Amino acid sequence: MEELIGELKKDIIEALSLEDVVPGDFDAETPLFVEGLGLDSIDALELILLMERKYGIKIEDPKERRNVLRNVRAMAECITVHRNNHK
Amino acid sequence: MHKRVFVTGVGIITAIGNGTGQTLDSLKKKTSGIGRLTLFRSIRSDIPVAEIPLSLDQLSEIAEADPGSGPVTRNTLLSLIATRQAMLSSNWDITSPLRSGIILATTVGGMDFNERYYGSLLTDDTHKDVITLLDSADCTEKIAEYAGIRHHVTTISTACSSSANAIMLGSRLIRNNRLERVLVGGTDSLTRFTLNGFFALEILSPTGCRPFDRNRNGLTIGEGAAVLVLESESVADPSAILCEITGYANANEAYHATASSADGSGAFLAMKEALSTAFLKPADIGYINAHGTGTEINDLSEGRAIEKLFGNDIPPVSSTKAFTGHTLGAAGAVEAVISVLSLRHQMLIPGINFVTPMEELHFLPVPEATPCRLNHVMSNSFGFGGNNTTLIFSRS
Repeated sequence: MEELIGELKKDIIEALSLEDVVPGDFDAETPLFVEGLGLDSIDALELILLMERKYGIKIEDPKERRNVLRNVRAMAECITVHRNNHK
Repeated sequence: MHKRVFVTGVGIITAIGNGTGQTLDSLKKKTSGIGRLTLFRSIRSDIPVAEIPLSLDQLSEIAEADPGSGPVTRNTLLSLIATRQAMLSSNWDITSPLRSGIILATTVGGMDFNERYYGSLLTDDTHKDVITLLDSADCTEKIAEYAGIRHHVTTISTACSSSANAIMLGSRLIRNNRLERVLVGGTDSLTRFTLNGFFALEILSPTGCRPFDRNRNGLTIGEGAAVLVLESESVADPSAILCEITGYANANEAYHATASSADGSGAFLAMKEALSTAFLKPADIGYINAHGTGTEINDLSEGRAIEKLFGNDIPPVSSTKAFTGHTLGAAGAVEAVISVLSLRHQMLIPGINFVTPMEELHFLPVPEATPCRLNHVMSNSFGFGGNNTTLIFSRS
């Protein structure tokens, strides 16, 4: 899980072109939106595409999508569940 | 009690990219989407265009959506792509009980199918099902179905200000609490109809448009779609808010069927009224995304109107049509999304293909993507028939 969290942080920084941010600047529980990383809805779309394209996860329900994208740990947990279901 | 109008999602596809990331990248790197026509055979194939080099099948794949059974026009696929991006970014819930609307704009509708099937429709019934797809409203109805919208479904076609008017109408419906959220935008695909039509008007550039240049020689037709999600302050999720729409106005100068007046009176009125609806002064505007088609008449008349309104304190101005081409019914929404990106990234968007200043004007287009503190961005969209619309986007 920790490895996946580290990888996700790098993915997020790259996908959102966060030029002044390094993985050490936020932890797995840091809120991604508003406070914390302060992301907005354009970033949200990039995160959705990251989950779809790199991890093969399509979240259809908007409420679940918001829940998964709240922080890095929630995203990592979603990916782990998805991987376990597809073993 | 008026409601504030927030932009909570955007989607865009043009010749310079699919999505805001690619779009911004092209704008920063000054990469134009203008090139050779490859989508269809034409006797005008020597005239540059700004096409999206993707077939219907490729667009279907990108759209990742099933727009219902039967054939789908290029217009509908382009707007599906932009709509899907906008809906995902704003976390649009199709099952929501919110009062929701859709206002899309287009000038060509299903013209690509008309061109393809016209001959056979005259002789037999094989393709008679496509007749319903030719209408401008077909695309809006399909997207409304896709987005689960029941309350308000409208299509606007006012030439090159179409989608700016869609954004204005959507904003007004939210401001006056008639709707809580609305999808607004526009779409126009490249067709023989537009290429030949604008050729007949003798305003197509043989080299690629160069807005605000003394040697400008016409416009370049483009294609694309852009869609924005607007939400009322009473329902918008604060984490999704990109900016606020604070000003809008439409003014018709009733001067000529296609030409704008030499003094730009309609453009002047639209900009002035938009400032007044936003309770702003000219000095508050940090950047103007001009209509700037690159025709002799538009750039002079728009430039004069800008000088008349802003006097000696003209904000940075550029036209992005040398990037995207003139996307006609989509242009207002395409440039609205670019204005949102300008605010979000606090960046002036450059104009390209500019070489020589116009003698009549005292400002030059923004030369490079430049960091700049921006609170309010103005976007102009002017259509044939003197249909002029100005929108103002503000940091929230």
